[in-house]
Amino acid sequence: MLEGFGAIVRKDLRLEVRSGESTVALVSLSLLILVVMVLAFGPGGARRAEVAAGALWIALIFAGTLGASRALMAERESGCIRGLLLSPVEPATIYAAKLAVALIFMAEAGVAVLVMLVLFFNLEFGGGLLRLIPVFLLGALGLSALCTLLATVSGRVRAGGMLLPVLVVPLFTPALIAGSKASAALLAGQSLGAVATWLKLLCAFDVLFVTAGYLLFEHVILED
Amino acid sequence: MKGYLPVTLAAATCLSMLTALYMVFVYVPTEVDQGIVQRIFYFHLPCAWVTFLAFGMVAIAGGLYLWLGHKIWDDLGYAAAELGMLFCTLVLVTGSIWAKPIWGIWWTWDSRLTTTFILWLIYGGYLLLRSFADDTEEIARFAAVLGIVGVVDVPIIIISVRLWRTIHPAVLLTRQGEHGLEDPRMVATLLVSLGAFTIMFVWLLWVRLATLRLRSRVATLRRDLAVLEAGAHL
Amino acid sequence: MTDAVLQAYRISKFFGDRPVLHGINFAARSGQAAVVVGRNGVGKSTLIRVFCGLARPSAGRLLLFGEEPFRLAAPQFRRLGVLLHQTLLYPNLSAQENLEFYGEIYGVAEPAAHAAQWLARIGLQRVAGEPVSALSRGMEQRLAIARAMLADPDLILLDEPFAALDPDGVQMLAALIKEALARQAAVVFTAHAPLEIEGVDLGLFRLDSDGLKPFKEENRRRAIRSLLRRH
Repeated sequence: MLEGFGAIVRKDLRLEVRSGESTVALVSLSLLILVVMVLAFGPGGARRAEVAAGALWIALIFAGTLGASRALMAERESGCIRGLLLSPVEPATIYAAKLAVALIFMAEAGVAVLVMLVLFFNLEFGGGLLRLIPVFLLGALGLSALCTLLATVSGRVRAGGMLLPVLVVPLFTPALIAGSKASAALLAGQSLGAVATWLKLLCAFDVLFVTAGYLLFEHVILED
Repeated sequence: MKGYLPVTLAAATCLSMLTALYMVFVYVPTEVDQGIVQRIFYFHLPCAWVTFLAFGMVAIAGGLYLWLGHKIWDDLGYAAAELGMLFCTLVLVTGSIWAKPIWGIWWTWDSRLTTTFILWLIYGGYLLLRSFADDTEEIARFAAVLGIVGVVDVPIIIISVRLWRTIHPAVLLTRQGEHGLEDPRMVATLLVSLGAFTIMFVWLLWVRLATLRLRSRVATLRRDLAVLEAGAHL
Repeated sequence: MTDAVLQAYRISKFFGDRPVLHGINFAARSGQAAVVVGRNGVGKSTLIRVFCGLARPSAGRLLLFGEEPFRLAAPQFRRLGVLLHQTLLYPNLSAQENLEFYGEIYGVAEPAAHAAQWLARIGLQRVAGEPVSALSRGMEQRLAIARAMLADPDLILLDEPFAALDPDGVQMLAALIKEALARQAAVVFTAHAPLEIEGVDLGLFRLDSDGLKPFKEENRRRAIRSLLRRH
């Protein structure tokens, strides 16, 4: 059932290692967002943890949406998506592979963002930051699931690239709420146990949308 | 029978709406705490009910379209989404009108209104997609998937917003008047209003669906004509 | 009676309101080759895309290996090889990497060795490590043909394969087609002028706004004669 998954993921990562385009694009966009946040809200102050958490999630959403659409739309050049559709690989497996690649792109950007958060917001390199990682990954997984499913809109509709965030962000709000609240608490020094409810919500969100994406992808990827 | 259906629905809508209006403005007693403004509740709640009904239909129609492939399910989904947006907007507007005199602010981030607002954004995106895109099968399938994803999201939106709200008690205010319907006249009025709005929804859906079906039929006729013309060029 | 691996019944295809294909009836059988001839813009590429299941017909029925493409089990697609107008090659991967990747997803044993073999077969072994973006159009076309045929498919659909090939390339492709027919594959390709392949009984079909029809015998002879005169 998941044959071809490994081949596609390795192929995409190989392409990315060679060109580096997506990584550069995502990291630059994240950097810009963080700079704007710091300048708008100020780096210090009592509400540092909340602002930093918010910045993290804003960067995730906008850079992440870009990353996911790049992961899928890279196949548009030379019509390679057709090569995959004509092959014995099931559409659902293509979805899983693209989701994995999008997640990896977001994780890359995430590392860069965490480093920048520490620098810009004068945070501590410590337990709080480390505990942030699972929360971030859970959010990135849900975002990848949504974006990979809906990214085909970018190629098909006028102004599709603009339309993708418009469609994804409202759908993502539960994960955004859960993720940013958990992140703020963790950065303020709380333990993972304290944010368990938010984590459970994120997990439920992920399970729901990865499943939905896996089942529905074949309907959106077919052309004509 | 088909010819009589729209007329029957229109008549039923008129009748039930007039009854509801009478009951809301004349029959039901004024609520003690909130005064006359509370009557808007009898429109607000039915609008919310119709919104959920409509968005549920978008998902079901979407699923049927993906499964069966007949254009009528796509048209039904589109019509339901349009009406859903209309009633969703009404929920937000009536909620706002209700909030102002009671608490002096135009908007409260209480869990129900916030959830409705997020839904408004989701289905606004759906309509934006359909207006930007051509009327092709690909887009119809994409819209069906979007509608299903939207509905799947609803329960988790409700839960997350409710959790979010409980950690901001100072900002939010609880809303009364929904569960404290002591007077049986209030219950009756609410039920009549719910019924009236549901009938109106069905009627509007029928009218809108008929228009979309007509459009699909014109497209089919255009194709047939193009085929005939191409064949004539021998 | 040989197996029909592809069956088209009264296929129509519309783009919006415009009919591109109408009333197409066709069957491709194991061990048989057919060429569909038509002028530019008549819908040859669309025909190939409908035949391979990428484009859903607006009307009519298409059976690929006995099933509608949408219902066909994914592993069955191993039996299908397609050359489209787009090469379906990754420009930033090398020729070897492209064939290896496709070999892997088509379930070929030892994809790396298999890819190297194919590169030798199509005469590209010297540019095996070059990115596809650096290859000439003719080389890309050869590579795309290899991509279509590397898993030894039972049905081979090629959209204008002879275009962009030099005389050596033409010979190579003719040899590949003969090999495929010898192992009982069905081959269908398009061209904008009628042609012949030595040693192959090639069915000639014309595609125009009226549909897909076999050449009438006198027309066939006339068409082939005019082709030979040109060369």
